[in-house]
Amino acid sequence: MNNAIDARGLSCPQPVLMTIDRMKNQKNGEIIVLVDTETARENVTRAAGNLGWDLVNVQAEEMDFKMTLKKE
Amino acid sequence: MSLLNFFKKNMNVFPVYSKTAKQDSRKSERAILVFDNTSEVIQAQRTLEKKGWKLRVMGPPPEIRNGCDLVIEIPLIEELNILRTLQETRNVPIKVVPVSSPLLQPVDIFQVKDYGDYLMVRAANMKITIEKENQLIVNISGGGCPDVPYLAGEMVGKSLTESPLPKDIGHTLCGYALQLAYEEILRQC
Repeated sequence: MNNAIDARGLSCPQPVLMTIDRMKNQKNGEIIVLVDTETARENVTRAAGNLGWDLVNVQAEEMDFKMTLKKE
Repeated sequence: MSLLNFFKKNMNVFPVYSKTAKQDSRKSERAILVFDNTSEVIQAQRTLEKKGWKLRVMGPPPEIRNGCDLVIEIPLIEELNILRTLQETRNVPIKVVPVSSPLLQPVDIFQVKDYGDYLMVRAANMKITIEKENQLIVNISGGGCPDVPYLAGEMVGKSLTESPLPKDIGHTLCGYALQLAYEEILRQC
């Protein structure tokens, strides 16, 4: 989880912008994003989908969501 | 030198007659229309803009303690005509307040935040964020109305010019606020 994007405690659009910035540098593979609101989860999923990344897993851990995004 | 040329050349010596002073005085001759709820504000804005009036939707000043979260700023000189028009549509404001002191200044409902490569505009409860380089909408958030996910789904990933207008596809106050944010971000770009 060292390279996970920790966007917990940040309000939109910051989780989305952090994720997009990572996707620009990392063209494919796996990205883990941690968020703590349902809205951030939805927004990150939508933005990732627009850039060709799939949400392959979401783990709800107490108040947080650990999202796994992948692109071949 | 003619008298006119003398005044033109020395305009800065007579600031009271300068264009800026005139504009400032005109700017202060404003009033705000206070409505019970936001739906009435939206209806009034549509009615008045259709008739060709230039107005601004703003936040209420601190001194105004009743009405909703939005007010309409109008030129004071047009007050009677505007009220007549609103009476025709049975949508009269609960109060008309001349902007006569700093505490009666309506406040800007827009908040603009620069995130480096991205620009966000917030209008009331809705936020729109674009990538500056290509004007691509990267995020829509806020609100809490049922159509926000739909609005975001339709708009995110499209450029400002390609995107449908929130006012055309939205059905709630969030759609209305998003339209204001959309127009403001277009103006900023």
